[in-house]
Amino acid sequence: MIQNSDFTRSGSRTEILVAEGLHKSYGPRKALQGLTFSLKAGHILGFLGPNGAGKTTSIRILTTMLEPEAGHFVIDGIGSEYPEQIRHRIGVLPENLGFPQQMTGLEYLTYFGELYGRPTAAARAYALGLLENVGMQQRAKSLIASYSHGMRQRLGVARALVNDPIVVFLDEPTLGLDLRGRQELLELIQRIARERNTAVVLCSHLLSEIEGICDDVIILNLGYVVAKGPVAEVIGRVQQNVVLRNVLLIQVPAEAVTRARQALEAMPHIISVTPSNGLADHMRLELMGAPNGDSANEQLNNRILSALIRAKIPILRFEVEGGRLQDVFLHLTEDVIR
Amino acid sequence: MSNSQNASLSLLKAPRFELPAWWLVLRRELADLWISGKGLNLLLIYSVLLGIIAYAYSFSPEHPPEAVYEMLKNSMAFSMFMGLSIAADSLSGERERATLESLLLTPVDRRHVIIGKFLTALSIWPAAYILSIPHLYMLAQGHQVLGLALLWSALTGTVLVIGYIGVGMLSSFFSGTNKVSYFVSLAIYALLLVPAELPGDAVDVEGGIVQWINPMSAVNHFLSQHLVNYRPAAEYWTWLISSLVLAIVTLSLLGYAGANLHLEAGSPGSTLWMKLRRAIGLAMILAWMVTSLTPSPVYAFQVDQAQVEDLNISIDIESRLVKMGDTVEFETNVTNNGQQNSPPLIVAMNLTDLHAPGNVPDVEDWASQQTQSIDSLAAGKSVNLGWTINSIMEGDYMVSMVLIPEPTGAGTTSHPLASSGLHLTVAPFVSLKPEGVLSIAIGEPALLLVITYSVHRRRRQQIDVGGSS
Repeated sequence: MIQNSDFTRSGSRTEILVAEGLHKSYGPRKALQGLTFSLKAGHILGFLGPNGAGKTTSIRILTTMLEPEAGHFVIDGIGSEYPEQIRHRIGVLPENLGFPQQMTGLEYLTYFGELYGRPTAAARAYALGLLENVGMQQRAKSLIASYSHGMRQRLGVARALVNDPIVVFLDEPTLGLDLRGRQELLELIQRIARERNTAVVLCSHLLSEIEGICDDVIILNLGYVVAKGPVAEVIGRVQQNVVLRNVLLIQVPAEAVTRARQALEAMPHIISVTPSNGLADHMRLELMGAPNGDSANEQLNNRILSALIRAKIPILRFEVEGGRLQDVFLHLTEDVIR
Repeated sequence: MSNSQNASLSLLKAPRFELPAWWLVLRRELADLWISGKGLNLLLIYSVLLGIIAYAYSFSPEHPPEAVYEMLKNSMAFSMFMGLSIAADSLSGERERATLESLLLTPVDRRHVIIGKFLTALSIWPAAYILSIPHLYMLAQGHQVLGLALLWSALTGTVLVIGYIGVGMLSSFFSGTNKVSYFVSLAIYALLLVPAELPGDAVDVEGGIVQWINPMSAVNHFLSQHLVNYRPAAEYWTWLISSLVLAIVTLSLLGYAGANLHLEAGSPGSTLWMKLRRAIGLAMILAWMVTSLTPSPVYAFQVDQAQVEDLNISIDIESRLVKMGDTVEFETNVTNNGQQNSPPLIVAMNLTDLHAPGNVPDVEDWASQQTQSIDSLAAGKSVNLGWTINSIMEGDYMVSMVLIPEPTGAGTTSHPLASSGLHLTVAPFVSLKPEGVLSIAIGEPALLLVITYSVHRRRRQQIDVGGSS
């Protein structure tokens, strides 16, 4: 694994990226209105929002491709008024990154290494290391034209790391990848953050990705930040502020559905047990009591699970409706989605 | 104190590159252009076209300087086209292929990106120039015009191609898509090329100002005067000004705009491109109007026939049989038999193709001096005027000299007098063998094919040829 030792890094700073009051408009349309946040080294920050929420504008501003109308940001102590210096410290995988088809992966990474100031031999050695890191060493000398979509995305991630950046911006990195490719790339992103102590800003439409690997999340809507903070905290905060229905979703094997229904309907505090989404083995339980998040409710959930276990019914899935990032996202952006 | 101000000075130093960034970009772009095959393919087409033109000239006997000039004109026009088309793709193509963002995300100064791409587009010119030399050599047939042609085409072609590549890159800079960039570039190319291919009188106003402004036709005019009509270069140097101006202006604009190269076409948030597009459209319409609406004033003149019967013009040779490429020298004698001094006089040369009356030879191509003036001829005096004709085309011609007394003022005219004719028979120049031209016309593209194949083969050895995974 290549270590980030080639470039000076102010490792003592905890906040590696600090943005304050970033604004941007396109004519009369306000794309971004006061984006303020900070990011620590080694942390992964997820950017969420519906189309037109301001995610790409935010990334373009933070990667110096656009100038903000107002506001300021600092990366590794370098202010946004020094874009060339900031470019030296960031790595970016833009959405829809194009590649020169007639170059090999090794030539591509070596070229960019040179553009970041490395001597040719060092750039080539570093490129080989990066290709090994992203699992591409076998195809280093193949033309990019012959790469699959997944390989190109991995090459794009390697390109984003070619200057050993302090902050990496990844815009929809898993777009178009199959399940295995997505999983491998997400693991790679986590490794980048943990092993290289690199801060990662991850833009994704797949909420499960953000929920799965991000430490913090920012939800944007119509250019405004509608929620930000650690993922679990954002979910909990919204649950506390919003009265969500007290509903459980439970999946059991099809042959055990009848026994499960009997066991559950015998319990107090359960109003109804109905099939969920028309699937017989998915049960939707509407409960009496306080909204989710309340401790009494959690005890009720535990009693329900205990009852099923005592009846020797395998539980394939258990979920509190409204307890996922997806629910929070839909709630916070419902005006736009409607 | 802000965080940025807290940053140490060492962090704010510009990144140090082992090699200049423009050189890195140039090296990469050159590899893309020449190894991927686009540059070699363009040259192959260019070489085939030159071969066809040269072969055609071997059957159409012309005076060597004329043939060399025509070949130069065509090779330069093709070279400009190649340079322009590469430049037109340089930035908008990268935008379209989504590869520009990656380049702009590096700390490289934008101007270095522009310089690298500019020099890459320029690299087509020396290659095209070298490929034209064997054809020029064959068409020159040992004539001394070859040296001059190579010198002046290198100088004027370099200046012209810089201007054209500048135009192409500016178009690419301000265009979001290749389609728009190519359309604008090729429209400008056509606008400058068409008048250059037409006879001057067809497109120009008095004084040749349109031809002078158009860089390509101005350079062509300079080359034709210097190479075909043997006029000194110093006499026509002003015809190179427009190409120099084009090169300087486009380079300056590129330097200014290049520092602000962005992901989006033009300057974000500005309406400069909209204004520029409007200006280009307006300029094209104006240029078309100027070139197509040649003024043709019609006046009713009063004929002033005073002294016409006292003047006489004669020619000292009745006929001459020559070969193509030969020069014919003769004299005209103008006599004033009257009692008074004559008004100022003009003697003009006329040339008529006896076997193709509809085809009017361009006297400008045949003689460096088509008119001579006499201030005034005293009573009883005569004057001899020397003339030289370059026999540039096979055929049967009648040369006649016309004496024109200058009218006394506006609203008057005079009665021109014609001399007896000089019957000029021009035999074909027989030393040019089509077979010799053909060997180059075929050999050069064949050599390029071999080079292209070798480059591709070497490239395939450098890489792992793997299928899609």
